[in-house]
Amino acid sequence: MEQKIYILVVEDEPDVLDSIVRDILSFEEFFPIEMADAAEEARDLIQELLDNDHQIGLILCDHVLPGDNGVELLVEMQKNEATSQTRKVLITGQAGLQETVRAVNEADLKHYISKPWQKEELVGIVRELLTDYVLHHVKNPLPYMQVLNSERIAEFIRKGGGPSDQ
Amino acid sequence: MSKTKWTGLILGLIGFIFPLIVSFPGLSLAGHMAMSIFLMAAVFWMFETIPIYSTSILVIFFQVILLSAEGFIDYSSTMYEPLPYTQFISTLADPIIILFLGGFVLADASVKYDFDKSMTRLLLQPFGSQPKFIILGLMLVTAVLSAFMSNTATTAMMITVIIPIIARMEPGDPARIAVALCIPFAANIGGIATPIGTPPNAVVIAALNLQGVEVAFSSWMLYATPIAIIMLIVAWFVLLKLHPPAVEILTLNLDGKLKKSRNAIILYITFGLTVLLWVTEGVHGIRSSIVALMPVAILTLSSAFDKQDIRKLPWEVLWLIAGGIALGISMKETGLAEWMVSSISWDQFGYLMLLALFGIVSLVMSNFLSNTVTASLLIPLAISLATSGIVDGVAGMMMLGLVVALSASFAMVLPISTPPNAIAISTGMLQTKHMIISGSIIGLIGLALVLIFSVIYWPFIV
Repeated sequence: MEQKIYILVVEDEPDVLDSIVRDILSFEEFFPIEMADAAEEARDLIQELLDNDHQIGLILCDHVLPGDNGVELLVEMQKNEATSQTRKVLITGQAGLQETVRAVNEADLKHYISKPWQKEELVGIVRELLTDYVLHHVKNPLPYMQVLNSERIAEFIRKGGGPSDQ
Repeated sequence: MSKTKWTGLILGLIGFIFPLIVSFPGLSLAGHMAMSIFLMAAVFWMFETIPIYSTSILVIFFQVILLSAEGFIDYSSTMYEPLPYTQFISTLADPIIILFLGGFVLADASVKYDFDKSMTRLLLQPFGSQPKFIILGLMLVTAVLSAFMSNTATTAMMITVIIPIIARMEPGDPARIAVALCIPFAANIGGIATPIGTPPNAVVIAALNLQGVEVAFSSWMLYATPIAIIMLIVAWFVLLKLHPPAVEILTLNLDGKLKKSRNAIILYITFGLTVLLWVTEGVHGIRSSIVALMPVAILTLSSAFDKQDIRKLPWEVLWLIAGGIALGISMKETGLAEWMVSSISWDQFGYLMLLALFGIVSLVMSNFLSNTVTASLLIPLAISLATSGIVDGVAGMMMLGLVVALSASFAMVLPISTPPNAIAISTGMLQTKHMIISGSIIGLIGLALVLIFSVIYWPFIV
């Protein structure tokens, strides 16, 4: 089976989960979106994806979840070699300063989005972070160019990444 | 491994073994060995069973084992005089490879100090604000840069220039497609203008050198640059005709500054001096491959180009070219190339038909295969036609070489035809059908023009 780069959205309120996924649906064709409503479910999902040789490029994670909280999940992912490179975003209204600092320091948090968010803001952040991930972890970034930041990908090729003359 | 790769692997192995078990009348033992290598390389290159540069190294490796004096096969009872193995491995430092090395160092240093971008801003300025002239300007700049830099890197850089232009255009403006297509097309065309413009030129020039035909940098430009200019204008017309701009005015944002650090200035001077010496080779006679060592020396001794930069050079492209050169050597030295062309009675073909045949095969093949691979497979055959007297000596050889190299570069129908095409399609700004239509028209006109040049222009200057 073909290896894919997944986006994982973890959010316990069904309405909010729906609206996040709706906003980033334009990425779905190239980066399949998977959803979970608790850290426990997210863990199983991550394991299943990794077992099938897929990668997780980006996680958008709420903080307050039933059971383990979002920051805990992100820190755990950071410690796991297979998911340490996953670009990690908190999308929440209720993470305290202490928790947020922990996410930055221990989970290499790439962005903090506070609810409510603007669609363009969310799409922009997702695009940049996925571009980051693709430029660092994919041999040929061309297939993703049209949904990602194509200027950055073109610049990467100009500097000798990706394809060369043949 | 995909199905195509498996097919390639199996066919490649069959191709390799076939000449070892079947005996062809009139072909020497060494010729059979060379054919094994040729068939394996052709299949592996076509199916990309392994990376194309890796096939090239495999070619050199097998030649050393099977065809060199130090190899495993005893040729003492045959007519074939085995070449020293150094002859095969020295293709990796062939003069044309050194010329390309110089070109790569200059190009990568230009990228490092944004010289390509500065040149683009400077050169685009005179083209005003009418969309059709902006497109012409974009094409000229792309072609000039890709004549000295890699077509792929030039395309990538120009894509960053056109993204904001296209973003400012109305979504329904057909000229968006013209803008997006003009870049890869101009890059493909610009590559033919100089020997270092694109790898197939290298393979052809090296094959000519092997026959004792020296091709000066300036002579190649004299042969090929006029055709590049005409083709640029043709491509411009075709694109504007198919995708006419809907508005009268387009704004270009040419902000940015020329870098003025010590190293950047060293680069500008080295670049200018090297190119000057290259294009005037006909006047002073210093070989371009010797001149090419100058930028490598100056840029590294001044640390303008450091160890990290050296590591990032596209070495695999040099390997790819070297493999193509090596393949030509074994086909010539073992008599394989001559044997292959002698099995067809060429006398029934007119001279022009022969050129047309090579042009068409080259154009078609390189639409699907790497341009360098196409040239590597065709040029040994083309050259042996000339040496066996079927076409007229040195001039005939030169023209067959130009036809093969230029036709390979005019292949731009599909996204897979060249990396610049692949990049343009990947931006999502145009569809494959747009590329197929205008790419086919331009390819056919290019082929026709090559043949016209071989009748009314080249015979008088070669």
